[in-house]
Amino acid sequence: MREKLEQLRDGALQAIAASSGVEQLQEIRVRLLGRKGELTALMKGLGALAAEERPIVGQLVNTVRDDIETALTAALMAAEEMVISDRLRSERVDISLPGRHPLKGTKHPVSLVIEEICSIFAGLGFAVAEGPEIEHDWYNFEALNFPPEHPARDMQDTFFVENNLLLRTHTSPVQIRTMLKQKPPVRIIAPGTVYRCDSDATHSPMFHQIEGLMVDKCVTFGDLKGILTVFTNQLFGQKTGVRLRPSYFPFTEPSAEVDIACVICGGKGCRVCKNSGWLEILGAGMVDPEVYRHVQYDAENISGFAFGMGIERIAMLKYGISDMRLLFENDVRFLRQF
Amino acid sequence: MNVTYNWLKEFVDFDASPDDLADLLTMLGLEVESMVKLGEGLDDVVVALVEEKRQHPNADKLSLCRVNNGVELLDVVCGAQNFKQGDTVVLAQIGALLPGDFKIKRSKIRGEESCGMLCSEKELGLAEESAGIIVLPSGIAPLGTPVFSALGRKDTLLEIGLTPNRSDCLSVIGIARDIAAKLGLKLKRHSTAVVEGPESVDSFIGVSIHSPEICPRYAARYISGCTIAPSPEWLVKRLNAIGIRSINNVVDITNLIMMESGQPLHAFDCDRLAGRRIVVRTAQEDEPFTTLDNQQRVLTSTDLVICDAERPVALAGVMGGLNSEIENTTTSILLESAFFKPAAIRKTAKRLGLHTESSHRFERGIDIDGVPRALDRAASLIVELSGGVMARGVVDVYPGRCDRQAISFRPEKANELIGINLERDAVLDILTRLECTVSTAADGAVSVIPPHYRIDIEREIDLIEEVARLNGYDKIPATMPVSRVVSDLPTRHQEIEKQVRNLLVNNGMTEVINFSFTAPDAVGKLLLSDEDPRRCAIKLANPLVDEQSVMRTTLLPGLLETTARNMSFRSLDLKLFEMRRVYHPGVGENMPHEPLCIVGAITGSRDGDGWSRPNEPVDFFDAKGIVETVLELLDIGGISWSPDTPETYFHPGKSCRVLAGREQIGSVGELHPSVQKNFGIEKPVYCFELDFEKLVKLSKTKKTITAPSRFPDSTRDIAMLIPEELAASRIVDCIKAEKSKEIENVQIFDVYRGKGVAEGYKSVAVRIRYRSFERTLTEEEISALHQRIISNLIHKLQVTLR
Repeated sequence: MREKLEQLRDGALQAIAASSGVEQLQEIRVRLLGRKGELTALMKGLGALAAEERPIVGQLVNTVRDDIETALTAALMAAEEMVISDRLRSERVDISLPGRHPLKGTKHPVSLVIEEICSIFAGLGFAVAEGPEIEHDWYNFEALNFPPEHPARDMQDTFFVENNLLLRTHTSPVQIRTMLKQKPPVRIIAPGTVYRCDSDATHSPMFHQIEGLMVDKCVTFGDLKGILTVFTNQLFGQKTGVRLRPSYFPFTEPSAEVDIACVICGGKGCRVCKNSGWLEILGAGMVDPEVYRHVQYDAENISGFAFGMGIERIAMLKYGISDMRLLFENDVRFLRQF
Repeated sequence: MNVTYNWLKEFVDFDASPDDLADLLTMLGLEVESMVKLGEGLDDVVVALVEEKRQHPNADKLSLCRVNNGVELLDVVCGAQNFKQGDTVVLAQIGALLPGDFKIKRSKIRGEESCGMLCSEKELGLAEESAGIIVLPSGIAPLGTPVFSALGRKDTLLEIGLTPNRSDCLSVIGIARDIAAKLGLKLKRHSTAVVEGPESVDSFIGVSIHSPEICPRYAARYISGCTIAPSPEWLVKRLNAIGIRSINNVVDITNLIMMESGQPLHAFDCDRLAGRRIVVRTAQEDEPFTTLDNQQRVLTSTDLVICDAERPVALAGVMGGLNSEIENTTTSILLESAFFKPAAIRKTAKRLGLHTESSHRFERGIDIDGVPRALDRAASLIVELSGGVMARGVVDVYPGRCDRQAISFRPEKANELIGINLERDAVLDILTRLECTVSTAADGAVSVIPPHYRIDIEREIDLIEEVARLNGYDKIPATMPVSRVVSDLPTRHQEIEKQVRNLLVNNGMTEVINFSFTAPDAVGKLLLSDEDPRRCAIKLANPLVDEQSVMRTTLLPGLLETTARNMSFRSLDLKLFEMRRVYHPGVGENMPHEPLCIVGAITGSRDGDGWSRPNEPVDFFDAKGIVETVLELLDIGGISWSPDTPETYFHPGKSCRVLAGREQIGSVGELHPSVQKNFGIEKPVYCFELDFEKLVKLSKTKKTITAPSRFPDSTRDIAMLIPEELAASRIVDCIKAEKSKEIENVQIFDVYRGKGVAEGYKSVAVRIRYRSFERTLTEEEISALHQRIISNLIHKLQVTLR
């Protein structure tokens, strides 16, 4: 019995040592240690032994099993490691090949800029408002203090539609619609499509604007300057210089053109800023009392400011686009860069 | 408005350099749009003396000169003949860059060295043509002085972009006045003293105004014995400098004074005025009139005309007539200085498309009080330059006299609105500097009478603006408004718009923006029926071009044009969408309807080209999948896909309408081959359309979320044969109709036609995943349920199991 056990062990250890691979080892385990294995079979002969020999041989069975088990485990681990290192040695990808891209689309730059500007103003407490693009003369001009036959109407070449309707020439009518609907405080931003009867390298008959309006008690021109400074710094960078200079719009007074230090040359003067160091980006001013009269606000007790800017212009400056027409040609080779 | 630096200096003594002046004007609201520095970079072109002149040894027509530039003697070869030894000339020295990028270099001409060039006016850009080189008066300036300084031609042309409210600055004096007010300087004016002859003007001419509502003031002077001649050089140069062509002494003076004072003037040949009288009246309907540009115009009864005793002689405020213009033989002149109402002049100029310097000023409003001053100044100059005699007195018919109203003004209101804190006196001083009459009553109330030329100042707010402007926008501190909190959240519409745009972009779609207007026949290319409402578009009254003359009623044509254009650039794999408004006429009195729509077009390869992908073309199900993704995002249920009555522009066998309940919310399909051809597209395109406004209405605001089951699942597959006509979705519907809580998911995982499947049939394989929320399902439970489903399919849909 004893010899048989030792033979079994020696044979097992030899077989383990000679084995190649995980599968063979597992076979060995089943053959020797399994329920119907050789060791189990031997153990059945244990009962035939003398009583005093049984514990000794029993212990030997355990030792033999442990020895085989230990050798098997070690061999298995080694074999598994071999498998892994074989895999690592043999498997290779050509990492120079291009990656598999998830399909990516892009928003139109005009949408991107509108989203960005709206989110800056959302942070300043401005809600987004909208209005019709086919508009009444009254909202587009008269309520904004452009009387009929006024030379200021020449500033905006208008597309007309029948029934005293026109394509809005600016987003400013949204100011009027908002004020007619709600009493102060008002704080809105109104992005939208606008139209002017004009087409060349720098003018598109359709373009986009964003209008802002804030009306409340004691709003000052200084506040307008403050809001626009925060806005331009967020849009173009913290240190962008901002300059307000007097201008004229029928619906604001005092009115201002707002310039930022040229983002191309940093204010030194270049072709984009026509050597002035400044880029005009928006028009603004304090809401004219005449506008309040049209919306039945009491100009004596409230004040406010309005501003408006061209989205295309901002997009062109932000992305360094030199020709506005690119924005509406919808060439995917252009659009996919955004 | 063009003005030169030197001309401004004539009226106000400022120290600012041209660049500083430009900044100052811009910050006053008189934006300097461009500056041209005359003689800039020509400092190397200097006054020099010809010390010696002799024949060039190798060329008959050239001479060899020794020229003194104040520093040294230089040898210069010259081809001109019009000078002699001892003349003072203009030398362009080596290194000088003449107009036209002509750089002066040391050179050898026919073997003789030449260290510079003697210049003509043409070469310096001072004249269009010149016969020889410039010969200067001797001793004009020390030798070596830059010639532009020596000639007094060093000047800067400022082009000022005026806003329509500042008609007072359509003159040199007007701009100078603003500079003076800003700097606290005094405006210098020319004397308006006139030298008159003995005979009264009334014995020569008469003026009557029949339309005082359009012409509230008309003044005239009479000058006889004039000689029409070319203008003197100073006058020609001054006009040329701001881009006005010289005509003759009298006409040039009227132009000069108009530019100087802002008052348009007109000189008539008085001998050609019937009855030597002026009658101001409105034109008769269809009255013909030939303006001095030799164009015959047909007038209407709203046009104002200046007539003599018989006929019109000028189109008031716009242009004079051919029949009374100054000619070389003219000797007696009636000089007009008048005020015409802006609206009337604007109407006439606009209708005739005739915009002149004169109409530009009248349209915006001139200074009614300045009428006689400009008349006197021009008349004096005419006498001076043409040698005539001015009749005594002035005809000044002024039926529309009205005084300016005082405006009550609160200095504290100005501070409050602007956000500054100026002393009361400082505020009032600004207004005084602007030539306002400021008076303070005993109780401190301030009233202000603005100067007559500032027609834009009528209200307190106009005065407040002046305070802000003169004090300087740069001096206003930037503050943040203290305001009551307004917390309007984005509307649902805005929120969903953003979500859908993000979704489409994240699914590989590229956004395009096409013009809102299109060609009238664009919808025709879609083969729409005659009754289709999309054929009814809003038309523009004044389109730029026919292709942009109607407002679009569908986004599809624009997107297909964009698709075609991109394909023509060999961008063949396209996934494009547009999310914009379309426009439908309003019903009756209603405003037009402008709903937001979404349209997409995909074509080419599904995943793009590459080593790692099967290069498979997109198909109907890619387009449908995008629509499904959008509907899932918005949690819109009850969707069905109807193949009935397909859109005309889609392939009838590969398209459907998207229904929510019974309402159509969109459509999906392969573009009809004929439509594809109409748009010049060569490959199949799959499109989808969605009505955004309906999506917003149907979308659910709240999502319901359930915790996943913790019990194991079990899947069973069924493969079956069904007739081609039977929609595969019926199988899924039939299984779901079982309404068993244990069916977690039903998925069609294979559709097969071909070998082993009879013609007219398709094999559809479905995988059902069973799982309970309460316990682990037993094999028996699942089998029972599965068998029931199979027998339902067999009985209700007559499927054949494979």
